[in-house]
Amino acid sequence: MSVQAIPKASTAASEPAADWDALAARARGVRRTKAVVLYAFLIAVSLPIILPYFWLVTIAFSARSGVAETAVLWRSMAVVVPAVVAFWLTAALAQSRRQLWIGIATVAAIAVFAFAVLVGPDLHVGNFIFLWEPDFASVVRSRIGEVKGAVQFPNVWHAFGNSILIAGAQTAIVVTVASLAAYYLSRFQFPGRSSMLRSLLVLHAFPVLTLIVPMFLMLYWIGLLDTLSGVILVLVAFELPFAIFIMKGFYDAVPWDIEMSALTDGASRRQAFVSVVLPQVRNGILAIAVFTFIRGWEEYIFVFTFLIRNSNWTMSLYMYWVRDDVMGVDYGVVSAVGVFYLVPSLILYMAAQRYLMQMSIGGVKG
Amino acid sequence: MAKIEFRNVVKRFGAIEVIPEMNLVIEDGEFVALLGPSGCGKSTSLFMLAGIYLPSGGELLFDGHVVNEVEARDRNVGIVFQSYALYPHMSVRDNILFPLRFKKTPRDEAFARVKAAADLVRVAELLERRPSELSGGQQQRVALARALVKEPQLLLLDEPLSNLDASLRLSMRTEIKSLHEQLGVTTVLVTHDQIEATTMADRIICMRAGRIEQVGTPDDLYLRPSSLFVAGFIGSPPINLIAGEAEAGTVTVNGARFPLEGGASGSVTVGLRPEHLRFGETGFAGRIAQIEPMGREILYVVETGMGAVRVLEQGSSAGHSTGEQVMIGFLPENSLVFETARQKLIAGAHVRAPE
Ligand SMILES: Nc1ncnc2c1ncn2[C@@H]1O[C@H](COP(=O)(O)OP(=O)(O)OP(=O)(O)O)[C@@H](O)[C@H]1O
Ligand SMILES: [Mg+2]
Repeated sequence: MSVQAIPKASTAASEPAADWDALAARARGVRRTKAVVLYAFLIAVSLPIILPYFWLVTIAFSARSGVAETAVLWRSMAVVVPAVVAFWLTAALAQSRRQLWIGIATVAAIAVFAFAVLVGPDLHVGNFIFLWEPDFASVVRSRIGEVKGAVQFPNVWHAFGNSILIAGAQTAIVVTVASLAAYYLSRFQFPGRSSMLRSLLVLHAFPVLTLIVPMFLMLYWIGLLDTLSGVILVLVAFELPFAIFIMKGFYDAVPWDIEMSALTDGASRRQAFVSVVLPQVRNGILAIAVFTFIRGWEEYIFVFTFLIRNSNWTMSLYMYWVRDDVMGVDYGVVSAVGVFYLVPSLILYMAAQRYLMQMSIGGVKG
Repeated sequence: MAKIEFRNVVKRFGAIEVIPEMNLVIEDGEFVALLGPSGCGKSTSLFMLAGIYLPSGGELLFDGHVVNEVEARDRNVGIVFQSYALYPHMSVRDNILFPLRFKKTPRDEAFARVKAAADLVRVAELLERRPSELSGGQQQRVALARALVKEPQLLLLDEPLSNLDASLRLSMRTEIKSLHEQLGVTTVLVTHDQIEATTMADRIICMRAGRIEQVGTPDDLYLRPSSLFVAGFIGSPPINLIAGEAEAGTVTVNGARFPLEGGASGSVTVGLRPEHLRFGETGFAGRIAQIEPMGREILYVVETGMGAVRVLEQGSSAGHSTGEQVMIGFLPENSLVFETARQKLIAGAHVRAPE
C-alpha cells in the first residue's frame, strides 16, 4: 500500500482502524447467524418433503406379504435423515464449487453404502407384479385366500398410454395456441386487448371444481363424454390462460427492433416470427410444455368425472382403483404403482429443471 | 442506389402528430445526416424510409416511384439500429447471412458475399462467435456488414455510434465515411451529435419537433444558421446569444452599443461564436470568471454587462487569469443577427464591436 505517500492521512486513518475490525467482526457474526438459521430452515423443510417419497420407494421395493415392515422403514430413515443433514451442512461449509461437489459425492457415496448394507438385503421387485400380470388383483387377493370380487383392471400399459396421450395432446395444443396468442397479445394493439389480459388472470383464479357440473353437461351434449378427446379439450381450456400469460412475459422481453431488422432483411412477418422471435422464447415454450404435460399427467378430477369405461383409464384412475381395491390387502403393490406413476414426472422435472427456473424469471416480466 | 423524396409526409401515432409535414429530397449516392435533439422524430422518419412505419399522409418516393405501401422486405434497405439488433441466437456468420436467405442467393455466392462484407468492416475473424461475445464496436461493425451484404439501394444508420467510447467513435466515423465513398450507396445517418453530423455528412438536415429547421452543408449550418435553434444546436462550445434592441443603426444591449450593418429593427438576438471572439484592446468589457482548459483550446467564461460570454482561445496554456479585466472584440462578418420574435436569421445583418 502507498501509505507513506500521504503521511498525514495515514496517522488519521490509523485511529479508527480498530473500529473497522470490530465492525467487520460484527458483520461476520451476523452473516454466520443468518447462515445457521437459513440452513436449519432448509433441513427442517426438506426432511418432511423427502421422507414420504423415500418411504414410498422403500415400501414399494421392500414390502413382503402385503405389509410394510416397520423395521426396514426405520433403518432406511436412519440413513436418509443424516444424509439430508449432511448434505445441507456440506452446502453450508463448502468454500468452493469443487469442495461442494466432492462433499456431496462423499455424502452420497456413504449414504448409498449404508443403504445397501442396512436395507439392501430386504429389496425385491415382487410388488411390481402389475407390470406383467394384468389380473394381479386376483393374484394378490388369492395370497390371503380372498378370491372373489377383484376389480377388472386394464393392462397398466394401456392406462400409461392413455395418460401419455392426454398429457401429450394437451401439451401440443396448449403450446401451439399459447405461443401464437401470446405473441399477438404482446405485439399488436387491438380493441379489448387490456381487458383480455386481465380476464386471462381472472380465469385462472376460479377453482376448476366449480365448473364440473356444466362441463359434464356440455361434454354429454356434444357427445364427448367418456372419450379422451373430451378430457383433453377441458384440460386445454383450463390450462391455456395461464400459459398465454407466461408466454406473453417471454415475448415482451424480446426486443422489438430485432423483429423489425428481420423484416427489413427480407423476411415476411411469419418468417421473422419463426426464425428470429421463436428462438428467443424457446425456454418459455419448454417451461410451459413441461408444466402442462405434468399437469395433464397428474390430472385426476376431470378424468374421474368424465371417463367411465376402464379402457379409458389413465394412470391416476388406475392408481385410484388399485388403492381402492388392494390397499387393505397389500401396501406393497399400491406403493409400487405409486412409484411407477411418479417416475415419468420426476424424469421430466429433472430434465427440464433449468427451463422451469427461467419461467419464474420470464413470467415476472408479464 | 436511389434518390429519395419526402412529399408532404405526415406521421401520427394515434392523436399525436410526430411529423406534421416533411418535404425533402436526398440525391442518389448522397450522405445526409438527420440531426436534432432527442424525440424530434429522426428515428420515425428513418423507420418510414425502411418501411417499418407507414406514413399517415403524403408520399414517399424512391427513384420517383411512390413506395408508401411497399413492404419493408421489398424495399432493399439496409438498416443499422441504435441497439444494433443482432440476432442473439445466431453466429456472426449467420447474422450476416440472414438477409441473403430470403433473396435465394446460391449458397456459394452467399458465403462469398458474407466473407466480402465481413472483410469490408474487418470482422472476418469473428464469424463463428455469438453477438454476446463481441464488444460494442465489433457488434456495430457486424450490424453494418449485415446491412451492406444485401447491397442495399439505401443505407440507414440510426445513431450507430452512440454506444461507443470516444476513441472508437472517432475511428468508426472515418470508417463509415470511407465505406460510403467506396460503395457510393445513398446513406442517411441519424444522430443527435452535431460533430458526428458535420464531420460525416455531405448535407445536414436539422430537425426540431418533427419539422425540418434547415437543410444544408455543414458550412451552411455553421456560418449561416437560418434560425436561433440551428445556431444553438451547431457548434461546440455553443454560440453566445445576446438579446438587444436594434434602432437607427445600432443594437443596444444593456447600455452597450453595437454599430449595426444591414437593416434590422426591433428586438434582435446577436449570435457570437466563442471561437470568433478575441481578447484585445477594444470591444466590450468583462471580467474572467472561470477558465476551462480543453486540451488544445482554453474556454474562458467572462462576466460582462450582457451576461456570461464564452470565449474560446487557441493554445494549451491560459494567457489570462481569473478575475482579470478584459476587452472582447470580433470581426463584424462573424457576427449573426436574428429577429427575436420569429427566431429567424436576418440575412446580411452584422454588428461591429463597440469602439
Ligand atoms: N410507437 C409510438 N407511439 C407513440 N409515439 C411514438 C412512437 N414512436 C415514437 N413516438 C413519439 O414520436 C416522437 C419522435 O420519436 P423518435 O423515436 O422519432 O425520436 P428520435 O428523434 O429518434 O429521438 P432519439 O434521439 O431519442 O432516438 C417522440 O416524441 C416519441 O415519443
Ligand atoms: Mg431515435
